[in-house]
Amino acid sequence: MIVVRPNNVTKNIKRPQFKLFGMIVLLGLIIILTLVAPLIAPYDPTEVQLTERLKPMSSENLLGTDHMGRDILSRILVGAQTTVGTSILVIVLALSIGLPVGLISGYIGGALDRFFMRIVDALLAFPDFIIAIVLSGLLGPGMFNLVLALVVVKWVSYARLVRSTVISENQKEYIAVAKINGLSSIKILSKHMIPHVVGNLVVYASLDLGKVILVIASLSYIGLGAQPPTPEWGAMLNEGRNFFHNAPQLMYIPGIAIMLVVLILNLLGDLLRDRLDVKNK
Amino acid sequence: MAILTIDHLTINHEDTILVNQVNFSIAEGEWLALVGESGSGKSITASSIGGILPKELKIVSGRISFNGADLSNMTEKEYRRIRGKEISYVFQDYQGAFTPFIKLGNQIDELLKTHTTLSKKERKKAALSILKDVNLFDERIYNSYPFQLSGGQLQRAAIAMAVVLKPKLLIADEPTTALDSMSASRVLGLIAKLKQQMGCAVLFITHDLRHVKKYANQVAIMKQGKVVEQGSKESIFENPQHDYTKQLFAAIPPLRETPSRLFMISENPA
Repeated sequence: MIVVRPNNVTKNIKRPQFKLFGMIVLLGLIIILTLVAPLIAPYDPTEVQLTERLKPMSSENLLGTDHMGRDILSRILVGAQTTVGTSILVIVLALSIGLPVGLISGYIGGALDRFFMRIVDALLAFPDFIIAIVLSGLLGPGMFNLVLALVVVKWVSYARLVRSTVISENQKEYIAVAKINGLSSIKILSKHMIPHVVGNLVVYASLDLGKVILVIASLSYIGLGAQPPTPEWGAMLNEGRNFFHNAPQLMYIPGIAIMLVVLILNLLGDLLRDRLDVKNK
Repeated sequence: MAILTIDHLTINHEDTILVNQVNFSIAEGEWLALVGESGSGKSITASSIGGILPKELKIVSGRISFNGADLSNMTEKEYRRIRGKEISYVFQDYQGAFTPFIKLGNQIDELLKTHTTLSKKERKKAALSILKDVNLFDERIYNSYPFQLSGGQLQRAAIAMAVVLKPKLLIADEPTTALDSMSASRVLGLIAKLKQQMGCAVLFITHDLRHVKKYANQVAIMKQGKVVEQGSKESIFENPQHDYTKQLFAAIPPLRETPSRLFMISENPA
């Protein structure tokens, strides 16, 4: 089919797609760098060399060294595995709890729905960050407990998002048709319902990933997340705090890393929302 | 023999009675028109047959028997076997009749797969032949997404899906209300033709008495959740007994000798 449009209109339509493509490439680049980080890191990120401490940027250590003489570039690269990798893990786990709970809650309704939604309401009554601090404080510092705490906080919004989509779709006639046609509930959910939910979820998850990265970095900054000597961006910020006046790169490099990744994810989320035509939540 | 019997059916929403002690039955191969204004409980009655009532509505008393078996005593599994195969629906909103992101052919195929043991090839053949029966000849239709078809085409495709398994009862819930009058008469003509071919009974829900006059054998008039009058088309059209029925007829705009104003249907007929 040939669609005739004035030139300027075509341009405006094409641009967001180009941006979206760019953002996906950037995100892909970050993920690849994260995956191959141990292979391309020039030094061992935990190797302490006290004679080489607080070196500025040079050809030997591209981003300088920290207060223990560890190579900052290597720590940023390998630290991405902790920060970005853990955040992705949190989102995946939150999704795999939130999606089924939302589907069941919205589709079956009744007492089960009320039960799940009261839990959700209770969890939503507190700010995310506070619950995460309390939980990881109670469970003790460490990455495993941090993931656990964040999943407990995060699955809630996915369950609600899925539930509301399911409830509004459930009133459409094609779901009635599918029921009349004798399809089992599992088939109705998997083939006629889940595709509706996916768009919303992708947009929400990409925006949420940025937030989770910030929370992980923040909790590690206050010592509840990654424990030394594991490289992690938030923890690196904290370690660099005492040397800020002499060696500001100890703080601004991990800071820039966090900012770039979160910025890319937020832009990606916004562009996806426009592209997938998801209603503003 | 009656294929569907509704016996003193009452449906409530909490304490509000929506359908009140409704009785009617449809014989095999019969076309029953259920007529009434919006909100009179026609569609709710129809939904209760297929077990697709909204969760808030409850059947408080009465029996629905289909082909001699009481539907309310059936297990979910037995019910599922009947729905779609022996009872099928055509709805008013043709745009909502198909899941938007699944091709039409695949949706018909899904139905055939659920209820028959046909091979993939046979299923496609059956789907294409039923699409041909509703004058959608092209294989292109089979491979189309719902949004690519016009309203009339979609409603005909919905009819094709409803009759592909040769049901014993076709429930058409205002199938022409959302269509223009040309597409509407084409759709009703098709239902009449397919009914002839397959010998299925039709429960036709409408508020358009002209369609009733043209196609139905039996008529039931519903008002505020009650069936106020029922009988053969001839007896009702020639000799309406209930005031409400008379008012309904009076409200049909005539083509000639247009009156200066139409009669109102009052809330409480004298």
